[in-house]
Amino acid sequence: MHTQTARPALRLDALRFAYPGAREPTIDVRRLEVGAGEQLLLTGGSGRGKSTLLNLIAGLIDPDAGAVEIAGTRIHDLRGARRDRFRGRHVGMIFQTFNLLHGFSAVENVMAALMFSSAPPREHRTRAAELLTRLGIQRLGADPQELSIGQQQRVAVARAVACRPSLVLADEPTASLDPDNASRAVELIKSACAEAGAALVCVSHDPAMAPRFDRRESLDELCAAPGVEQDHRAPVDEPVGDDVEVV
Amino acid sequence: MALTDLAIVRRSMSGRMFSTVTTVLTVAVAVGLLLVLLAMQSSAGSAFARGTGNAELLITRESDKLVSVLNSMFYRSAPRGPIPWRDYEQLTGSYPLAWTVPTQLGDSYRGLSVMATTPAFFSAFQPAEDAAFRLARGELFDEPFELVVGAEAARIAALSVGDQIHLWHGTPRSPGGHEHDEFTFRVVGVLEPTRTAHDRTIFCDLTGSWTLHAHDRRVASMGAGVVTTPDDLVDADRLITGIYAGMGPRKAALPQILDMLDRDPAWTVANPAGEVANLFAIVGNVGAILKGMAVAVMVSSGIAIMLALYNSMEQRRRQIAVLRVLGASRGRIFALVMTESAVLGLGGAIVGLVLAFGAGQIVSEVMAARLGLVIQPVLDLRETLVVIIGAILLACVAGVVPAVMGYRTSVVRNLRPIG
Repeated sequence: MHTQTARPALRLDALRFAYPGAREPTIDVRRLEVGAGEQLLLTGGSGRGKSTLLNLIAGLIDPDAGAVEIAGTRIHDLRGARRDRFRGRHVGMIFQTFNLLHGFSAVENVMAALMFSSAPPREHRTRAAELLTRLGIQRLGADPQELSIGQQQRVAVARAVACRPSLVLADEPTASLDPDNASRAVELIKSACAEAGAALVCVSHDPAMAPRFDRRESLDELCAAPGVEQDHRAPVDEPVGDDVEVV
Repeated sequence: MALTDLAIVRRSMSGRMFSTVTTVLTVAVAVGLLLVLLAMQSSAGSAFARGTGNAELLITRESDKLVSVLNSMFYRSAPRGPIPWRDYEQLTGSYPLAWTVPTQLGDSYRGLSVMATTPAFFSAFQPAEDAAFRLARGELFDEPFELVVGAEAARIAALSVGDQIHLWHGTPRSPGGHEHDEFTFRVVGVLEPTRTAHDRTIFCDLTGSWTLHAHDRRVASMGAGVVTTPDDLVDADRLITGIYAGMGPRKAALPQILDMLDRDPAWTVANPAGEVANLFAIVGNVGAILKGMAVAVMVSSGIAIMLALYNSMEQRRRQIAVLRVLGASRGRIFALVMTESAVLGLGGAIVGLVLAFGAGQIVSEVMAARLGLVIQPVLDLRETLVVIIGAILLACVAGVVPAVMGYRTSVVRNLRPIG
């Protein structure tokens, strides 16, 4: 399934980050690699620094040491507007609270992502509409606040993959959903990423998520095992059951 | 089709409609005020700058020089101090004046002043440097009961050649005012516009006006039913209220003549252009103060923009953070807020322009009705552009602080899950 030939979608190299005044670094990842199109579940307890790691990967905060490489580009080597543009084109983000733009319709929320892409402006609306329709949103002109939670999540997913990014970061995407919706949402995110050709790094502390990912990493282990080379091609312990339905 | 920065600005503004509307109105009032003042000042200036023309002297029996000019040349109200015709003849004989024109004011027609004079008024007197009296239609009066109508007066009273009307003694509101319905005047000519107060005036022959007043005298003594013709005039009927005069080629002697007439207790002599210049000096000072106040109002409207955007920044931090995640740079966010500020300024300027236009019309009508001053508020294109661009620049300056807030908005902190 994974495109083995391509550069890894994400590579972390001796990444260290400590909040000012903190004794221990919050993030201290020796090495992590996510292949193109690969899907990874990153687990860790609440407050363990999962969001911090995602912010580091997205280039929203700078590490104290080490590097984040996305599709071959070290994001922290880029400065200012270039880094923002790179993030817009190569990284999609999905948040627990969706962070949709109020006052903008569903389709406009997706178009907002395309605004900063290289896609020809003429095609933005069509592309956004197609994507939403594929994800099962019919009321393209509706304000997200009028949509159900599940539909809002679809809009957020569409927005994250609209630019066909190399990497999608999902931060606790199911935390505000009930178990039924949560499992549907995970499958939606996974299939949308697969369709867009994007690798997926999903952080969650929800144990129910685990069986849905071929590859899982624990942030505690990533950080707490200095010197231990992480094998990013960890073998799958058990085959994922047939219950994995693609939405 | 794509989402544009302007679309984002528009949504942001319509999302806070109340704030947007009040801010735009604040700017609009300031812009409107400034434009009205500028328009009024320049048009008040031209209203007074034009009208004295080549009359280097105005000779009356009024008590004040400026008042005499305002009354006899700008038709503010009926001049006081009648001048017997014999005195006028004596004056023209004793002073070396190139030309003189006798004028008499006091009657009206539908609020328009009626000036009784001689046909010389239209040939000797030139109301402005670049304008002489020219007939648009018809001819000048040469009979006692004929009228020549100024361009604006013809428009206001809907008069055209051949119309027959009755004049009013005084004005309909003044004590003793009444309609001279025994005498019918006929319009024989309509003048071309001169862009002076004379355009709002109806001109008749002195003999005709004298006959009206002689009739009043005769009715008082002989009772109603008496018939009066120009042949019934006596010396006491032959009164005028002012004398326009010019030095012609002997311009150099003007100060001397002014001085001589000034010392003659029988006369009040004014140099109309000089009086208008004095008036300007006063009006100019007041205008400068008013303009200063209008600019202060503009500045405070800039502060209103800043405040409105500043308050909105709190609500917009999350939106900004989301746009940053989607790929917007800090510079783009800065530009978005600045654009919104500039749009508020532009919107205010446009609404202000409309307000100024409406207010200008009202003010000029009030001025015309109350003071008899003809002020056509003309929004000078260059001044208008300066004010509009000024409003936008002011808005941009006002937008800097909120835009910097947007620029510095922390993405990470504002994306924190709320739930």
